[in-house]
Amino acid sequence: MSSVTSTSAAARAYWRSLDQLQQTPEFTEFLHREFPVAASEFPQGFSRRRWLQLMGASFALTGAAGCRWQSDTLASLPVRPANRVPGVPQTFATSWELGGYARPIVVTSYDGRPIKVEGNREHPDSLGATDALSQAMILHLYDPDRSTAILQQTEQPAVERSWDEFAAELEPVLAAVKASGGAGLRVLTETSSSPTRSRLQTRIASEFPQAKWVEHNAIPVRNAIAGAELAFGRALRPHLDLTAADIIVTFDDDFFGHHPAGVRLAREWADGRVPEAGPMKRLYAVESQFSLVGGVADHRLPMKSSDIPRFLDALEELVDKGLAGAPIEESHDDSYGLKFLATVAADLLAHRGKSVVSVGETQAPAVHARAYRLNSKLGNIGATLSFLPVPDPSPIAAELSTLVEELQAGKVELLLVLGGNPVYTAPAGIELAAAIRQAKWSVRLSNYVDETSLACQWHLPAAHPLECWGDGISESGRLTLQQPLIAPLFGGKSDIELLAWVLGDVDATSQSLVRQTATTLLPADRFDKEWRKLIHDGFWGKPAATLSPTLRADLNLPAATPAPTDLELVLTPSPSTYDGRFANNGWLQETPQPLSKLTWDNAALIAPATADELGLKTGSLAALHVAGQTVELPVYVLPGQAPGSIGVALGYGRTAAGHVGGLLSDGIAAVGVNVYGLRTGAETVLTKATLKGTGRQYPLSTTQDHHAIDTVGMTEIAGRIGELVREGSLGEYEAHPDFAQHKVHHPPLESLWKEPSSDGRAWGMSIDLSRCIGCNSCMVACQSENNVPVVGKEQIARGREMHWIRIDRYFKGDVNQPEIVTQPVACHHCENAPCEQVCPVAATVHSPEGLNDMAYNRCVGTRYCANNCPYKVRRFNFFDYNAKYEAANTELSRMLMNPEVTVRERGVMEKCTYCVQRIQNVKIGAKNEQRAVRDGEVVTACQQACPANAIVFGDLNDKSSRVAALHAGPRSYAMLAELNVQPRTKYLARIRNPHPWLATAAEVHGHEEAHG
Amino acid sequence: MNRFCFPGWIDRLLPWSAAIATALAVYVTGVVIVGAAPSTLDVGYKPEQPLPFSHALHAGKLKMDCRFCHNTVDRAAFAAVPTTATCGKCHSGADMSGVTATTSVHANSPKLLAVRESLATGNFIGWKKVHDLPDYAYFNHSAHVARGVSCVSCHGRIDQMDEVKQVKELSMAWCLECHRHPEPHLRPKELVTQLDWVAPESPEVLGAKLREALKIQPAENCSTCHR
Amino acid sequence: MSTITAPYDNTIETPGRRAPLVLGGHDYTSVTKVVCEIAETPQPPLAWFVAFGISSSMTLMFLGFAGYLVTTGIGVWGNNSPVFWAWDIVNFVFWVGIGHAGTLISAILFLFRQNWRTSINRAAEAMTVFAVVCAGLFPTLHVGRIWVIYWLLPLPNQNAIWPNFRSPLLWDVFAVSTYATVSTLFWYMGMIPDLATFRDRATNKFKQFVYGVLALGWTGSARQWYRFERAYLLLAALATPLVLSVHTIVSFDFATSQVPGWHTTIFPPYFVAGAVFSGFGMVLTLMVPGRELFGLKDLITPRHLENVCKVLLATGTMVGYAYAMEFFVAWYSGSRYEQFAFINRMFGPYWWAYWTMVTCNVISPQLFWFRKFRTSPWLMFTVSIFVNIGMWFERFVITVTSLHRDYLPSSWGHYAPTWVDICMFAGSFGLFFTLYLLFCRYLPVVAMAEVKGVMPRTVEH
Repeated sequence: MSSVTSTSAAARAYWRSLDQLQQTPEFTEFLHREFPVAASEFPQGFSRRRWLQLMGASFALTGAAGCRWQSDTLASLPVRPANRVPGVPQTFATSWELGGYARPIVVTSYDGRPIKVEGNREHPDSLGATDALSQAMILHLYDPDRSTAILQQTEQPAVERSWDEFAAELEPVLAAVKASGGAGLRVLTETSSSPTRSRLQTRIASEFPQAKWVEHNAIPVRNAIAGAELAFGRALRPHLDLTAADIIVTFDDDFFGHHPAGVRLAREWADGRVPEAGPMKRLYAVESQFSLVGGVADHRLPMKSSDIPRFLDALEELVDKGLAGAPIEESHDDSYGLKFLATVAADLLAHRGKSVVSVGETQAPAVHARAYRLNSKLGNIGATLSFLPVPDPSPIAAELSTLVEELQAGKVELLLVLGGNPVYTAPAGIELAAAIRQAKWSVRLSNYVDETSLACQWHLPAAHPLECWGDGISESGRLTLQQPLIAPLFGGKSDIELLAWVLGDVDATSQSLVRQTATTLLPADRFDKEWRKLIHDGFWGKPAATLSPTLRADLNLPAATPAPTDLELVLTPSPSTYDGRFANNGWLQETPQPLSKLTWDNAALIAPATADELGLKTGSLAALHVAGQTVELPVYVLPGQAPGSIGVALGYGRTAAGHVGGLLSDGIAAVGVNVYGLRTGAETVLTKATLKGTGRQYPLSTTQDHHAIDTVGMTEIAGRIGELVREGSLGEYEAHPDFAQHKVHHPPLESLWKEPSSDGRAWGMSIDLSRCIGCNSCMVACQSENNVPVVGKEQIARGREMHWIRIDRYFKGDVNQPEIVTQPVACHHCENAPCEQVCPVAATVHSPEGLNDMAYNRCVGTRYCANNCPYKVRRFNFFDYNAKYEAANTELSRMLMNPEVTVRERGVMEKCTYCVQRIQNVKIGAKNEQRAVRDGEVVTACQQACPANAIVFGDLNDKSSRVAALHAGPRSYAMLAELNVQPRTKYLARIRNPHPWLATAAEVHGHEEAHG
Repeated sequence: MNRFCFPGWIDRLLPWSAAIATALAVYVTGVVIVGAAPSTLDVGYKPEQPLPFSHALHAGKLKMDCRFCHNTVDRAAFAAVPTTATCGKCHSGADMSGVTATTSVHANSPKLLAVRESLATGNFIGWKKVHDLPDYAYFNHSAHVARGVSCVSCHGRIDQMDEVKQVKELSMAWCLECHRHPEPHLRPKELVTQLDWVAPESPEVLGAKLREALKIQPAENCSTCHR
Repeated sequence: MSTITAPYDNTIETPGRRAPLVLGGHDYTSVTKVVCEIAETPQPPLAWFVAFGISSSMTLMFLGFAGYLVTTGIGVWGNNSPVFWAWDIVNFVFWVGIGHAGTLISAILFLFRQNWRTSINRAAEAMTVFAVVCAGLFPTLHVGRIWVIYWLLPLPNQNAIWPNFRSPLLWDVFAVSTYATVSTLFWYMGMIPDLATFRDRATNKFKQFVYGVLALGWTGSARQWYRFERAYLLLAALATPLVLSVHTIVSFDFATSQVPGWHTTIFPPYFVAGAVFSGFGMVLTLMVPGRELFGLKDLITPRHLENVCKVLLATGTMVGYAYAMEFFVAWYSGSRYEQFAFINRMFGPYWWAYWTMVTCNVISPQLFWFRKFRTSPWLMFTVSIFVNIGMWFERFVITVTSLHRDYLPSSWGHYAPTWVDICMFAGSFGLFFTLYLLFCRYLPVVAMAEVKGVMPRTVEH
């Protein structure tokens, strides 16, 4: 895989002869990494346009080019690195950091351009899958809005400086700071797991004892740890292991969301939800706002976050009773809450040591502590819930508030702001921007000239995670490496490089720093071997030993006080922009939020009941008032939201994000509304909120809107869902494993003409609805793999999104306690495809292997195929959505394009191809070796990304293939089979595992009803 | 009443005008068809290369195997254009210490300046692409070479060309022709780079055998070439 | 009371006596005079100028927006997913439908020896040709890449691919182009004797020459007449099946697909009936003002108008029957998707479109049971306007309401036209009327020769 090893003598000699390269820091990396000339030359003088022309020659960049009159030039490498074959992608195991933990990934590089992020199969925290954010982070590497230069902003307008000029200016300041033992030195950054960074931090602590180190996280990652401190007397972080957990009870905890272990937990969960594969887990969710976890829960109780502590108290009480020997009876109370409580308690008691109670970061430490106690009472600690040590706080650690005071007092000589975006994420009452201006010297290292950069005197371009070395600890405690795939496009530096600089280590490269740290972590005797292993695998060693601590003897937790009955506001990280750092990421902005299906906005999510009370509707603009602060934002009525609770996503309303996320200086309005100003600290649950309609409307763009639908439609939908997304209870499954195939009855299906037979390979896909958690990972992966354009909010509003795979979400049952079902839908590659028959120019035809080929360059755009597609998976280029890639200033973004996939022109139809480019490459390789394609050798992008392993692809004619087995299985059904389109994509019915006490009538006699 | 009427002789013109009209129509169509055909537009395309590299000399006279330079042709989609280092193997100039290797051929030839320059600066030589398919057509060299389709089938007698020019249409119909009836273009794998090779027996018969042996089923569906 | 002032009402059947088709005591000469002077008068009525000014500027608007569409993308229209076809196809079907009356009147009524057709067939045929022109524009402009639209034609090509002959859109190309050719031919051929008359009456060399060329040297000799009538008869026979085939095939665009609300076997007859209905509707819309404007009341008599009304009544009722049948079929199919498609038409978001359609197409023609409505031009004119509106909405209902909610509720959508949609639709009327007004001004609007053929001898001597 990685060629980051030694370098051939010839190459070295050859490079040594280049003096212009020798100075640049890239050079050393280059030397070791043997980058293609093109990539390394890119940032230096060498025009981008030219570069792309050249690259463009050797592979397909746009569907339009290529006619005789345009002459192409071939840029052959002067020296081709070992193991490099032009046009053959290479992959490198690396990682990036989010929320204080390393996220392991494998990145595909095409002729020196990283173009695709995938999971690291070997890494236990990835298992080959990724979340949507990891898939999308690569977009920032080629973001034309990235900061390209060092800016001295003391001048107005800001002037561009070179690194040398900056060094010259910094020297005296550093000297002064050193002299004072760092009295005036302050570092403002985010929590990180990087061993290298903590090594440098310790060095700073020792060399600058007077300095202060402030960590500010927009999304708190501390409550669980503080809770452990309460419960066990020492700071520990919880580590869930769902493999052993049969009963899972969550309180406001979306561990499938942005949780650092989300990918692993999703896999563990999904593996426990396949009825064929043994006993099924059961999940109870108590939450104020529909989360991914709530979406897959067997029983979900919508409850205000501020009421959850008391509910947990009650639960513990009941469990205590049970433990004392009193049996717990089924509650026949009318209140669903009490029924729920009794059931959960009973189920927990019945599964001691095989259950887990988990609480989310929205809840206070005390609540976490109580949950830990409950778990230990149930004997879950050590079995399903264990703990990992957290690094001791640095001696120079300080709070943001203190920093601000010191800044205002003018005590700060040199302020380094590394990463994060504190000015934007700072809570109300902290005038950080103003304060920073009080610092004598403020330096900002960032990928973008963002809100914080504008407040600092100096802005330095940061290197993207794919441009520099780094390291981190993944959730399970493994050392995970971050290695660059391309030299910094704009000569950016990484935070560790800057810290080393402050420590006087000016020439230290990120690589040397990381390697140095590694020497302390890897066995010295066979260091080189292990170092190579680390680079190859992307991680090293076993997980840190988990702890199962015992409760403090003197632990007593005050009973939770009843929360005020008025509206509460719950602030959550945005599924799309996280804390706002992805605001300029078009892919994520356009990825519909899993439950609301909202794009390009955040909104006040409220329950239908609350909406009626307040007389608000989806799309009405309301004034949200809390703790003296007011913002105006649109309302979105979301069934399943806890009545009385308002959910709003953080991470919107950026004013200096870029041309996608909002850039006031260029008159580009912010996307969504910034609600950081509503909180006074790090808390995410605020009580005593009010929401008043302003009488104005605000257009929201959703990719699926059920609530604009009249009663005629709603009744029909209710009738259809059961046939489209088939699901049943475990009981139902055990009674009739093939119940799904009997949900729809239709006459024998006969075709008008001879049906295409495929006796060679027959590609097919199986999607397990029992596994799918609706996390959108597949959508972003597909977008990245297949060059799917971003169309923008207005086009989405018109229903013109381009996603090749989408996740349909339907609500079921009582509008106040709905269940949801999610269903990924991409082209079904029907054997009897309606689209093929009606295309007048035969632009979409069947391949012998059963692919529904789409020849973009034959398409004239009558759109008839899309009309005739019952699954509505065909996407039409209503405008030239790729024009932005031709625009002169954005060739950079073109570098992201996957050369294996044609970029579609205006006026043509497009759709999922089953990643035909991957199929072809595997096939050709196999044929060259004169062997058959192995099962699992072709992996589609969506399948690759899926954390839950819900998607399986392969050859249906190979009876030993996984997909053939799944298609033959009892749960397998074809959506809309009654149309006789014979789809190659089939679904596996979703199985719920309800507790008999809470099961609905349908779940008990579902099958009979289906026969009706 | 004086009605306006065309003179009688107009009738005699009618057949003529008809004939002329037809002729004109035929002519115009003909011009369009011939003029727009790839055989007219593309065949014979011979761009000027940055340095006068002669395939006739290297591949023809010196009998160098195609794969000596285009060494990824049997492994990858692209038959890589050789790196300057490859040229340097024979044509390297003076190194840093000013010493020229005695094995070096034409070490100081002005024609090879571009090579030495590239070796020294690390900038590439910008070769002009001769056989240039549209970017939405994905051709894979290895898939063809590995099945015994010779270079000559698409590139002609490169070993006789001083400057490479396009000799085949490279149009879709032209591709399909072979995909539908590959036999005449097949030969033993190891002989693909022998451009002057002549089949000992009728290529049809031999091709049929090879096709049988290698189980070659050229596909004709869109996704074979368009992704 | 009726606004017509005629010697007597020729709408009354008097047994044993054939009602005259020309009133006002005209003889051959006067008929010629009446018709020819429309084109010969140096100064057409002011109304003509006004109408022409408006329609030609609307034509320009159409062309402007067409340019914008082609250079910018189909996105300038309201089309979206799932409503991939909207006004573009609605307008196409609407215009093709209108294009039906002409050939029906000229060919079928001719074969059935319906003499009353003579004084209206010429104008109706012209209407047909112009309507087909408008119809052709929309599908042409609606493709995403108009610059390669010739791929729909089966031409030999260097890609060695043919069009997909299974696709109804391809059948459309053949059907509509054939229909356009034959109708034009039919129209022109019928005009030859009259063009000759124009030529002979022409006062200046230029007109003489132009009409002369168009008249193909017609002298009116017995042999020419003999050949002419033979050829006309043959063409009529040839055109007759086309009248039925065109809209049948247009209906296949919908019927052969599997969109709920489209996928039904009654579409061909239903579409043809609808087309004749809308065609005759447009004939009325044009004739009633036309005969006023150009003083043709004696040639286009109340009897003619009444006959048209009767046809409207008949076809309107057929259309109503088809609407009812659609529902029966949907219910009888037992398919939940089919059933919902129709419930959704009546009570869904586009209920107003559906009920407009029913009111205009089924209810309003029933007024023609009353003689009053059949005999007073302005009343029937009003009804004919309703018919035009109704038939446009019929196509809207079929196209848009079926598409906007098909199988997967997740992909349900809503359609709203943009300004470009609206202006291009309006513009197509501009084009239609521009052509029609030019026709009135420069060509024989009534088939003089044929009218003379059906004039009662009694009027002479």
